[in-house]
Amino acid sequence: MNLAANANAALYASMIVYTLAMLAFTWHLAARAPKVADSKAVAEVGANEREGVLVGSGAPTPAERRPATPYAAGPGFEESLKSRQRGSIALMLTYLASALLVASVLMRGLAVGRPPWGNMFEFATAAAAAVGAAYSVLAKRNNWQWLGVFIVTPILLVLGLALTVLYTEAGELMPALKSYWLGIHVSVAFLAVAFFTLAFAVGLLYLVRLRREEKPPVKPTFIESLPSSASLERTAYSLNMVAFILWTFTLIAGAIWAKQAWGAYWQWDPKEVWTFVIWTVYAAYMHGRATAGVDHRKSMYIALAGYVAVIINFTLVNLVSTFVGMHNYSGM
Amino acid sequence: MSTDTNPATESTESTEHTPPGAKPTSGAPGRDGIRTGMRPDRQEPTLPTLGAIGMLRWGWRQLTSMRTALFLLLLLSIAAVPGSIFPQRNIDAGRVADYIAQNPTSSPWLDKLGFFDVYASPWFSAIYLLLFVSLVGCIVPRTKVHLSALRSRPPRAPARLARLDEHAEITTSLSPDEALSAARAVLKRKRFRLHSHDATSVSAESGYLRETGNLLFHLALTGIIIGMAVGHLLGWRGDIILAEGDKFASSAGTYNTISPGPWVDTETLPPFVLSLDQLHVEFNETPGRSFGTPRLFDAQTTLQSSPGAPKSSENVSVNHPITVDGADIFLLGNGYTPVITVKDAKGSVLYREATPFLPQDGNYRSVGVIKVPSASPKQLGFTGFFLPTAEPTFTNGPVSIFPDTNNPEVALSVWEGNLFPGGAPQSVYTLNTDEMKQVTKADGSPALIRLKPGQTYQLPGDRGSITFDSVKRFAGLSVRTDPGAPISLVSAILATLSLILGLTIKRRRVFVRVRPAPAAAGDGPGGPGGGTPDGPAGADGRPATVVTIGGLSKDSDPGLAAIVTAITTGVHDRLAERTDRS
Ligand code: HEM
Repeated sequence: MNLAANANAALYASMIVYTLAMLAFTWHLAARAPKVADSKAVAEVGANEREGVLVGSGAPTPAERRPATPYAAGPGFEESLKSRQRGSIALMLTYLASALLVASVLMRGLAVGRPPWGNMFEFATAAAAAVGAAYSVLAKRNNWQWLGVFIVTPILLVLGLALTVLYTEAGELMPALKSYWLGIHVSVAFLAVAFFTLAFAVGLLYLVRLRREEKPPVKPTFIESLPSSASLERTAYSLNMVAFILWTFTLIAGAIWAKQAWGAYWQWDPKEVWTFVIWTVYAAYMHGRATAGVDHRKSMYIALAGYVAVIINFTLVNLVSTFVGMHNYSGM
Repeated sequence: MSTDTNPATESTESTEHTPPGAKPTSGAPGRDGIRTGMRPDRQEPTLPTLGAIGMLRWGWRQLTSMRTALFLLLLLSIAAVPGSIFPQRNIDAGRVADYIAQNPTSSPWLDKLGFFDVYASPWFSAIYLLLFVSLVGCIVPRTKVHLSALRSRPPRAPARLARLDEHAEITTSLSPDEALSAARAVLKRKRFRLHSHDATSVSAESGYLRETGNLLFHLALTGIIIGMAVGHLLGWRGDIILAEGDKFASSAGTYNTISPGPWVDTETLPPFVLSLDQLHVEFNETPGRSFGTPRLFDAQTTLQSSPGAPKSSENVSVNHPITVDGADIFLLGNGYTPVITVKDAKGSVLYREATPFLPQDGNYRSVGVIKVPSASPKQLGFTGFFLPTAEPTFTNGPVSIFPDTNNPEVALSVWEGNLFPGGAPQSVYTLNTDEMKQVTKADGSPALIRLKPGQTYQLPGDRGSITFDSVKRFAGLSVRTDPGAPISLVSAILATLSLILGLTIKRRRVFVRVRPAPAAAGDGPGGPGGGTPDGPAGADGRPATVVTIGGLSKDSDPGLAAIVTAITTGVHDRLAERTDRS
C-alpha cells in the first residue's frame, strides 16, 4: 500500500470517528440540560458566586449586571456525572479522530514530498485538521465539551465536501507554489482559520446565551448550562485575538511571498483583497470591542461577519471564475 | 486610561477615578456617571454655539475618534470587495475590455464610478486617506498622553476597594506597616510600579508596555503606508517578451511596456543586457484533473550588468528572481513565438521574425498578429491563432488540447489595405482592420491558412507566400524596483511584534490599604480574633490589621485574580516567617 492510499484510509477512518464523536457530543449536551427543579439550586450557586464573598468574579459586562435570571447560572452549573462521562467519551473520540486526520495530512505530505496543501482538496483537509487539532489541544483544559458538537459537525461537513466535490489526486505543485513560503504562509493561515472557527462557534453561542439571559426561556436547555454570556464573550475575544495575530502574520508572509513569486508584494489580486478584507473586519471588531459605548454584542456581529469573509475567501474566491486572479491553485 | 481614546477626553480625565479597567461596561455602579462624561461624541452636538473654530475642532475630534476609525475600517473592507468581483485594469486590462464588450448597458456606469480601477478610485482613496489622517490624528495625542503616563505615579487608591473587579479583605496579626511591606514586596516581584500616597496604602500599576505596543502598532501601520507611497513614487516596472536566442538591452526605450513612478528618471535605468538562452518548461502529462497544468518554468539566461561587462549565467524561475543593479528580474509568463517568413511573388523575403503569440487559456491557444508593411501593392496583415497541440479536426474552431508543442499549428486569416490608419501607434498584438479587407480566394471565400512547421502557403492572386518555419518559446520577464518595500517590510514586522505586545500584555492597577483591626484597636467586647472568619489566626491569635486589596484590569484578565491571591498569600507568608523566627 502506498502512502497516498494510506492517507485516504486515515481520512475515511477519521470521518467515521468524528461522526461517533459528533453523536457523543450531542448525547453529552442532552445530559447537560438542567432539570427545572435543579435550575433553582443552580441559580443560587451562581448568585453566591456573583456576590464574591472573598474574591469577586471577573469583570462583569452589561449582561451580568442585569438582575440574575433564573438560569443565568453558567459558572455555578453543576455537571451531572452522566454528562461528564459522556463528555469525556466524546473528547476521547475527538482526539482519536483528529489524530487520524493529522496523520492523513502528514502522510499525504510525505507521499507528495511537499507541504500537503497545494490544491483545494488539500486546503480543505488541512484546514479541517487544524481546527480539529486546535480544539483537541484546548478542549480539556478549558472544559469545552459543550463546544464539541459545534466544531466536529463543520469539520465533518468540510471533509465530506472535500472528498466528494474537491478530490484531486496527489500530485506535483504548480511552479508558483514551489517555495518554502508555501509551508509558512499557508500553515499559519490554517492555524488562524482554526482559531477563527473556534471563536465563531463560541461567538454564536454567546449571542444565543445572551438572548436567553435577557429573555429567560420557560424551559432551560443545555444553553443554560454554558458559561455566562460575559464569559463566552471573553473566550471568543481571546480566540479571535490569537487568530487575528496569526492572520496578520499570514497577510505579511503572503506579501513577502508575492514579491518573490509575482514581483510585487501587493497588487490587489482577489485573494489578496479578501485576505485584506478579513483583516480589516477583524481590526474593526477589535476596535469595536475596545470602544466605550459600542456594546459587545455589536462587536460580535462584526466578528461573525469577518468569519463569513473567511469562508468566502476559502470557497468562492478559490472556485468561482469571477474571482480569477493569480491565486489559481484550486486544482479544479 | 480610558478605553475611548478620544484625545480630548483622554487628557481631561481624572486619573483618580478612571483606573485602567474603567470601561463603562465594567459594572461598578458608581462609574456610570463617569462614563457618560467620557464620551462627548455621544452627546447631541450643540452646533449653533460652536462657531467656526469650534466646528473644526468638533469635526477633528469626530474624525480621530475610535468610532470613526471603526466605521472607516468597516467601510474600507466593504469598498475593497468590488475590486475582487469586477475585472481590474491594473491586473488584466484585456478582461476589462471583454467585460465592457459583454455588458454594454451597465459597464459605462461602472466604469465612470471606478469599478474597474477600484483601488485607484476617488472613493476608495478617500476612505483610506481619511483613515490615515484619523490614524495620525489618533497616534499623536495618544503618544503624548502615554509619555506622561509613563512618567506619572499610580493614582491614589479609590475609597472603596471592594467595588473593584477583583478584591479581597483579610485580617492578619501583622502590624499595618508589616502587612503593607509584605504586599509591596509581592507587587515589586510582579514588576508593578509602586507609589504610596499615604502611610496606609499603596497603589501599583503595571502593563505600560500594552499601550506602548498599541501605539507602536499604529505607528507601524503608517510606516507600511509610507513605504507603499515611496514605492509608488520612486519604483518602476518594465516588461519584456524575450524569445529564445534573443537579447535585450535595458533602457527606457527597449521595454515592451514601462511604467515608471512619477519621480523616476527613466534615463537612469540600469543598463544591463540579458539574453534568453533557453526556456525549460514542463507540463503535467498524467491524465486526470491536473492534466496539462504547469510543473516547471525555468529560464536559462546570460546576464551582463552593462554592455561589455563580464557575462554570467543565471537561472530565472518562478519564485526565484535575479537581481541586477537594484532591479529584480522576474519570470512571470511564457508562451510561443512561431517563426514566420513572408515572401513576395518574386520570392524575396519581406518578413522573417519570431512573432510572439499571447496565450489565452491553460492550453496556450495563443493569438497574434503579423504585420507586413513592406508588402505591395497593399500592406498585408495576418491575424489568428497559434496552437501548440492543435485539435486536428477544428470542429470547434481552432483549439489547443495541451500546452506543450505536441502538434503545433498556426491558423491565420489574411488582410490587405492600410495597416496603420491615420499613422496612429497601435499594439503589436492587434490588427486594426478599419481600412483593410480580408483576402479571398478565387471562389470568393476568405483565405484561411493552416500551417505546420515547415509548411508554406501560397497567397491567392500572386500576393506571395507565407511559411511557418519553426516555433520557439518566449519568456515574459518583468523588471521591477520598489525602494519602498524595505520600509513597508520593517514596518510590517514591527506591526506584528507590537500587536502581540499590545494584545497580550494586560494593563493592571492594584491597590492595597491597611487599617488597624477594630477589635484589636479597641479590645472591645468581641474579644481578640472575634468576628473575622477569613482572617488567619496570627502568632498570638490577635488580628491586628485589616488588609483590603483591589485590582482593576483594562480587559478580560484571568491573571488579575492570581495577583490578588498572591498578595493575600504574601501577607500570610510574612506572618509565617515571623512565627518561625520567634
Ligand atoms: C489604519 C487603521 C487602523 C487599524 C488597522 C487599526 C487596528 C487596530 C487593532 C488591530 C487594534 C487591536 C490591537 C491592540 O490593541 O494593540 C487596535 C487597537 C486600538 N486602536 Fe486602532 N487601528 C487603526 C486606526 C486607529 C485609529 C484611527 C485610532 C484612533 C481613534 C485607533 C485607536 C485604537 C486604540 C485606542 C486601540 C486600543 C484598544 C485597546 O486598548 O484594546 N486605531 N487598532
